[in-house]
This record gives sequence, C-alpha cells and structure tokens, in this order.
Amino acid sequence: MVNKDILLHNSRQFGTLIGLMIVTIVFWILSPYFLTVSNVMNIAEQTSINALIAVGMTFVIITAGIDLSVGSIVAVSGVVMAGALQGGLSDALGILVGLLIGVTCGLTNGLLISYGRLPPFIATLGMMSVARGAALFYTEGRPISGFSQGFRFLATGELAGIPAPVILMVVVYVIAHVVLKRTKLGRYTYAIGGNEEAANLSGVNTKMIKTIVYGISGLLSALAAVVLTARLNSAQPIAGMMYELDAIAAVVIGGTSLMGGEGKISGTLIGAFIMGILRNGLNLLGLSSFTQQIIIGSVIILAVLIDMGLRKDRGFTQAKGIIT
Amino acid sequence: MRRLLALSLMLVSIFFLEHCRRTEVVSKPTIAVVMKTLNNPFFIDMQEGAEAEAKALGVDLIVQAAEREVDVEKQMQIVENLIQRKVSAICIAPSGSKEIVPAILKANVAKIPVLAIDTRVDRNALAEAGATVLTFIGSDNKDGGRIAGEYIASRLGGKGNVAILEGIPGHETGDARLSGFHEALDRYKEIRIVASQTANWERDQGFNVFRNILQAHPEVRAVFACNDMMALGAVEAISSTRKKNKLIVVGFDAVKDSRAAILNGEMHASIAQHPEEMGRLAVEYAYKAINGQSIPPEIPVRIELITRETLVTK
Repeated sequence: MVNKDILLHNSRQFGTLIGLMIVTIVFWILSPYFLTVSNVMNIAEQTSINALIAVGMTFVIITAGIDLSVGSIVAVSGVVMAGALQGGLSDALGILVGLLIGVTCGLTNGLLISYGRLPPFIATLGMMSVARGAALFYTEGRPISGFSQGFRFLATGELAGIPAPVILMVVVYVIAHVVLKRTKLGRYTYAIGGNEEAANLSGVNTKMIKTIVYGISGLLSALAAVVLTARLNSAQPIAGMMYELDAIAAVVIGGTSLMGGEGKISGTLIGAFIMGILRNGLNLLGLSSFTQQIIIGSVIILAVLIDMGLRKDRGFTQAKGIIT
Repeated sequence: MRRLLALSLMLVSIFFLEHCRRTEVVSKPTIAVVMKTLNNPFFIDMQEGAEAEAKALGVDLIVQAAEREVDVEKQMQIVENLIQRKVSAICIAPSGSKEIVPAILKANVAKIPVLAIDTRVDRNALAEAGATVLTFIGSDNKDGGRIAGEYIASRLGGKGNVAILEGIPGHETGDARLSGFHEALDRYKEIRIVASQTANWERDQGFNVFRNILQAHPEVRAVFACNDMMALGAVEAISSTRKKNKLIVVGFDAVKDSRAAILNGEMHASIAQHPEEMGRLAVEYAYKAINGQSIPPEIPVRIELITRETLVTK
C-alpha cells in the first residue's frame, strides 16, 4: 500500500516533468530558433517574474488558500519603491522599502484571514482592489521611470552568461524548497492544508502560520516588482494586472492541489517554465495572441484534469471548492 | 535529484543534436509588426495595411500583440522573442513610451532595425539608454487634438462647459492629443473645462466615467474623448440618461463604429489617423531599412477631421 502510494505520488511529479519535455520537444521540432542557449536564457529571464510570485502562491495554496492580490501588490510595492529611489534613497534602502510594503500587504491579508476569519478569496480580493487603488493614488496614475545603473543591474546584469533575475529565481527556489521540506514552518504549512482542525488540536499555531504564509506571498510579489521595475526601467501603477492568474496557473500545472495539503516547490518551477515556454514558443512560431490564449488556457485545464484523475486513483474525494 | 540529473543530461544531448541540425537558415526577410493590442479596430486596420504591403513586396510578416494593451512587460517579452527568432526588422507601436526602451536596446544590440509606429518612443529615455529608433511613422497627435479643440469651439460658438476623457496617463499618444486640445481651447476665454478624467482607452470605462461626469456636471455641453472607444462609451452614457440634449461628442481615430455613430448623429466628429496607411508605410520603410537604404527620421501620416459632412460627400 505504502509502495503504491509513493509510486503514484512520484508519477504525479513525473507527469509535470513529462509535460515540460513534451512542450520542449514540440517547439524544438517546430522552430529552429527555440533550443539555443540564448533563447533558453531568454525564457528563464522571462519566466522569473511569474516564478517568483508563484513561490508565494505555492505556500498559500498548500494551506488550501488563494491569493488574488499578488498583481496589485506588485504594482503598489513597485511604485512606492520607485518613489523612494527617485526621492534619493540608496538602491538597497529603496528596495527594502518596496519589500516592506509587500510584506505589510501580505501580512494584512493573513491577519484578515486568520484572525478576522475572512475566506482567503474575499480578503485577498479586497486587497487586490485596495493595493491597486493605492498604487494609482500614490502615482496619480502615472508611471515613475528612470533608475540608477546599479538598480537596473538586477535585470540587465549577468553572471557567467546567466541573467541576474534567473540567479535570483534559483536562489529563491532553493530557499523555498528547504523551508517547505526541512523546517517547522514548512511542515505546519502542509499540516494546515491537510486538516486545519487537526493541526490546531495538535498544538500548531495555525493562525500565526497562515499569517506568515500570506506575508511570504506579499514579500515575493514585492521581489517580483523589483525585477519588473528594473527590467522596464519604470514602475507602473497598472503593472501586474492578472499576474495572479499566471501564478495560480504555474502552481496548479506544477501539481499542487487547490484542496491544499500537498504540492512541491519544484513542481511550481516546472509549471512556471511550461507557461514561459508556451508563450515564447508560440511567439517564435508567429501565432497570434488570440491563439496563444486558447492554447495556454487549454494546457491549464489539461493539467488540472490529469491532476484530478491521479487524485481519484488515490482514493481522495473532493467536494470542497477553493472559496471555502 | 536523479531525475534532475537525467533531465539535464537529456537537455545537453538535445542541444548537441540541435547544434548538428542547425544549418544556415536563409529565407526571405521577415518583418515583425508589434501592436499594442489586437482588440482595437485601429490596430486591425493597421495590420491589414501591413499585410497588403508585405504581400506586395514578397516578404514574410509576423504580427504580434500583448493580450492586454497595458501590459508593457508582455510586449517586451514579444520583442525579446522576435530577437531570438532573428527577424529582419521590428516595427513597434509601444505600449509605454519609456518602458519599451530596454527592449529596443536589446534589438539594437542584436543589430535588428527598429521602427516606431503610431506612438513615439520617449527621446530622453532613448538617449539615456543609448538606444536608437530608425524612424517614427505616425500622425502628429497634437495636431489632431488641436483640430478637435477648434471643432468643439466652433460648434459651441466659443462658450460653454467641456469635459475630457483621457487615455492612460503618462502615455505619449494621449498626452499629445490632450495638450493639443488644451492649446486650442485656451484661446477661448468663455470655454471652461470642468472635468478631465481617464477612462484608460476603454469603452466600458468611458461609459462609467462619463456617466459620473454627467452626474457631477449636468451643464456639460461637449465632450472630447482621446480615442473613439471612450467616445462611444460616452455616447452610451448620454443615451442611458435619457437626457436627449445636444451634447457634442468628439472622438479620435475614426474607427468604423464611430463613423456609423457620426452618420446617425450620436457622435459629431472624430479625427482620422489612417492606421492602414501606417501599417503599409511601416512595412515599406522596414523593407528599405533591411536593404540598407537610408530613411527619414520622421514619416508623417495625414490626419483629418471626420464629420457627417465629410462622410456623406465621400
């Protein structure tokens, strides 16, 4: 029984990896420009922003929650950081200000959910609007642009041919992987998603852990904002619209269950790459953006269908929606 | 871990195979046209002009656009991907006049000529980054705004209250139209601009925002919308209030829907920019640039006032 369980669990992870291989091979056959070192780096760089947000989203979804506010947090932390940088703050301090804004938004979400007992969907939906409004209010709707070379290095820099955002992404994934697998915080995160009541009864401070988890999501959204701002040399109050959907898609394609309790950070990375590769490959083939949306949407549905199929095999029943 | 190793091994071998397979890819030139969006008839017209010219010249054409007009980062990704695709030239209608500069710089490094269409790229941002754009193909939006202002002033007989629906703030096209409009109206002391708000280029937002403006300023006699989508939203807002007073509605772009609205009297004027001409010229000059011919730094596209009279006489 145990053996079978492990086998099936591995086959789920393997499924995501096979998905990655399939899209890679398909585009390799279709386009001579796809599988080159420079394009692989290009894909990794383009994937980094969504991948960073998706790390936080993975934590949240493992607790059986959802964070709809990530895109708006990208915008508000980006513009406040940009304002701080143009106000004369040093690069490091400016970035710190941006990260603090992100953490504050995230922790607020967490407090509303844990202690205010709001459903995650509602709390983060509210934050999505509040943070977006705050970004527009702060900038009066105008983008803030023009930053130092040092700051822009976070997007334009390279180390041994590897773009800086890619290095940042790898570092964040290694840390997130260790936190989820090797720390109490990680284990409690899974425990809450598996059965919150049971976790609570066995002495886990579920309210605090959930608050921290949403704080992490806010922090990583702000980190994504740093990369985005450095990349465009501009922070826009309308940036990050619909980023929550891309992040959720990456997590779900990566095999993390929306019901909570399971999921892997490596799966999310693969999920983010599948999204990035699809966008890149479809661009290389010159397909219109309409077709691209259809294909990307279909891949998301297919991934979840496979996920549910495998889950049924393992005797899970699912009646819960993501809203509760 | 073992699986990761297997994956990297496989990737390495694929790279090797790919390296063997790669032969010189020679074909006819490929010109890429990157739009802001394809949800707007203006850009569809532009696409049609580009397609016709590409067919005439016998070049390959790729038309791409981000899913959302405001998504500058996606537009940057498209440019990066086109660079990987090794296209011969990129014509781009920037979603952000400053934000697109890093992407242009990357194309410059890859020695792919870049032509700006419809919206100018910010000069200072270009200079600061050391990036170059070969030419700008488009209309003088400021002139268009001025024409719209003069038209409204003459329709109002030089006095009355006016409202404005702005485009996305900080966006070159909208700002130019706005400043031209202000410039024209500044000369009329008895015309007051009582409200000026953004509806982000969109029809539904134009509807909502203008409804609110009508609530706050029922005495408004004319509205200038920085594009037709917002103007059409305003038309719907006016008809929903059932207040059949004579509001003057002027849009910008003269798309098909607004021409129809002008003919049946719901709208009064629009400014025509000839997007199909822009698309055609973009491909024509991109082709010249590929063949090493020098091209002028600015290629103006005619701009004109469209009213019921001009439509009927045509």
